[in-house]
Amino acid sequence: MADQTATFFESLRRRGHEPLLELAEGTLRFDLANGGDVAHWFVSVDKGDVTVSRSRRRADCRIRGPRAVFEGIATGEINAMAAALRGAIVVEGDAELLTLFQRVLPGPPSSKEAP
Amino acid sequence: MTDDLVKILHGNTFVVSDARGDIEATPADAAGLFSYDTRFLSKWVLTVNGERLNALSTDDLSYFETRYFLIPGTGTVYVDSKLSVIRRRAVSNGFRETLTVLNHDDKPIDLSLRVEADCDFADLFEVKDKLAKKGEYTREAGRGRLVLVYVRETFRRSTAVTASPTAAVDEQGLTFEIHLEPHGSWEAQLDVVVNFPGLEELRAPSNGRARARANMEAELQRWIDGAPRLACDWEPLLNTYRRSLVDLAALRFSPVSAGRRSLPAAGLPWFMTIFGRDSILTSLQALPFTPELAATTLSELGIRQGTRSDDFRDEDPGRILHEMRYGEMTAFEERPHSPYYGCADATPLYVVLLDEYERWTGDRKLVRELESAARAALRWIDDYADLQGNGYISYQRRNEETGLENQCWKDSWDSISYSDGRLPGFPRATCELQGYAYDAKRRGARLARTIWRDAEFAEELERQAESLKRRFNRDFWVEDGKYFALALDPDGNQVDALTSNNGHLLWSGIVDKSKAKAVVRHLMGPRLFSGWGVRTLAEGEGRYNPIGYHVGTVWPFDNSFIAWGLRRYGFKDEATRVAAGILDAADFFDGRLPEAFGGYERSVTKYPVQYPTACSPQAWSTGAPLLLLRTMLGLEPEGDHLIVDPALPVGMGHLELLDIPGRWGRVDAFGRGRVSVGKKPRLRQQLGT
Repeated sequence: MADQTATFFESLRRRGHEPLLELAEGTLRFDLANGGDVAHWFVSVDKGDVTVSRSRRRADCRIRGPRAVFEGIATGEINAMAAALRGAIVVEGDAELLTLFQRVLPGPPSSKEAP
Repeated sequence: MTDDLVKILHGNTFVVSDARGDIEATPADAAGLFSYDTRFLSKWVLTVNGERLNALSTDDLSYFETRYFLIPGTGTVYVDSKLSVIRRRAVSNGFRETLTVLNHDDKPIDLSLRVEADCDFADLFEVKDKLAKKGEYTREAGRGRLVLVYVRETFRRSTAVTASPTAAVDEQGLTFEIHLEPHGSWEAQLDVVVNFPGLEELRAPSNGRARARANMEAELQRWIDGAPRLACDWEPLLNTYRRSLVDLAALRFSPVSAGRRSLPAAGLPWFMTIFGRDSILTSLQALPFTPELAATTLSELGIRQGTRSDDFRDEDPGRILHEMRYGEMTAFEERPHSPYYGCADATPLYVVLLDEYERWTGDRKLVRELESAARAALRWIDDYADLQGNGYISYQRRNEETGLENQCWKDSWDSISYSDGRLPGFPRATCELQGYAYDAKRRGARLARTIWRDAEFAEELERQAESLKRRFNRDFWVEDGKYFALALDPDGNQVDALTSNNGHLLWSGIVDKSKAKAVVRHLMGPRLFSGWGVRTLAEGEGRYNPIGYHVGTVWPFDNSFIAWGLRRYGFKDEATRVAAGILDAADFFDGRLPEAFGGYERSVTKYPVQYPTACSPQAWSTGAPLLLLRTMLGLEPEGDHLIVDPALPVGMGHLELLDIPGRWGRVDAFGRGRVSVGKKPRLRQQLGT
């Protein structure tokens, strides 16, 4: 299975600056559980400047859940807010950061850009 | 029926009970303890020795606290009870109920006092649409605690009930065996705590863990003290003003993740959540009084602005959301409200609010912070909302199952019709959307020039606005009727019903000066003006019905914007007549304007007939008297000054609004009424006729 989550984070890392995150400030930590393993991704945002890292750092918002759910979120198949509401992912800390972070998540692949 | 229900709330947690304080919900009934769109108690019934109690009186202490005076008895026959029970309930994260039992007899007594509790964990959508549940229920009784649990896959909601002193707990409720000495009293506290595992942290701190009551009281007082003071010799207005401020405080809501900031939710009980349109329009109405609501509305809607295409949610880049929900059906994507974006007016209105907010407050910092949000909103108008490629905003849902058909404020199925009653196809380009777009472009240009320092963008926006105005006055003008059509249909033909939307066009400024007089004649003429206000749809139109939701009723919010529009085009007397009618109506409802009332002719019914609806107070009805105060005083920011140009209804001798907050600090506004010279000034009981 291709690691869509890694692809998503790598593409975010390459962007460096993301205008959609200009209102965000802080660090998000993603804990992806896969069997007994937990993979970590850290995304720090400072007014749109994005740093993506695998190494531990202090986080303002922690999001944990099964890897399969994150794969769905990274491809737009799963809506992150709905997933949080039904407990498929668990959010701790400053939830506004996740609300802002959703801005860079893709929409459903079946929905085409209008214009 | 809803009039007998007692409603108290805090944020979006609220309780609807009967006059005794009991809750006995049927699956499709709105009674219960609700939080974040989920019912957390559907049964909560108090008995003494197995008997239900009777209510002597109910005392609303504040919007979040009620006291019930109860006695045992046989219902219809009044008995001189030797016992009374006081039930005091305050809403926080769930609620706290204090039970006091008083023995008025000179003999001791032993009693068994019991509270039965149950919950169906219904999603508000399930209550509205009468749908069945898909998960499993469990109960845990023990160690002085009753926990009711609902689980569906990873979705879990629970309600915990505890008591002090400790009660005997079984799976159906809690029992206290108590002994009272002659003239003795006994007290217990019951705590009901709602629980969203995994979602706890998603909720705003201000809504989390029970906030002390004293704090909430002090906060309400601070809120009222922070608003301008009103003085007026027409007393009903003082009551209406105070009612509006208190209701607006009650309707404040901190969305998930908004920290301690709050914005106006749309209405109680069904609409205690963010609605783009309602939150924006209420913030506009309240700007001269509580500008902080606008700031939060702008920030929170900006954070949640659309960024991608999502057909299920009718989301586009730049689009401002319509409605956010937190219940089970949203969580499982059976409803699109996470959030749902199907709304065609909130996006241009977002830019309108941003500009108006800056004109009042001078808060350039927020306008800079939200520059990209505003630019994205302006781009949405051109790139995503012009569904027909004709330069007009129109709407057509992409989610055909659970999306909204009509994405304007008149959102019921039959609200958009031709004069002969036929309904047009989709997409529909309603007229007020074009007015909002025009205003958004003009205001966006001002912000671009003065704050974002982008003169080129400003000129581009102004050019677009002028071209839109020119085309609009040609394409929407019904030549033989001399008014603006309600909409253009998919073939570009006029949907020619005469409606209150003409008033919103005045507010937006899109109406050619030469056409304004004819428009005003219609608004104030007998087909639209009922004497209380302007009807949504004119008498004589195919679908006119004086108690049809959007096809003949009078909406106070609609009228407040119409009054603003009349002032904008210099029709002071007409604006004053609209204000007088609505304020008179408010007095009939003891200061709390309903969402809508019947479009019956005033001279026929003598009093405004309330539209049967369960939603009260409603934010933009609560805001209507505030905007009417603004229009009566003619308040208009001009640079760092506040222009005051009053025009009061006959019968109002003077009107003063003191300490109006804004970029000028605080200023006072005074208005004097027109009273007949030579006679003793006489104040009429009602303002309008």
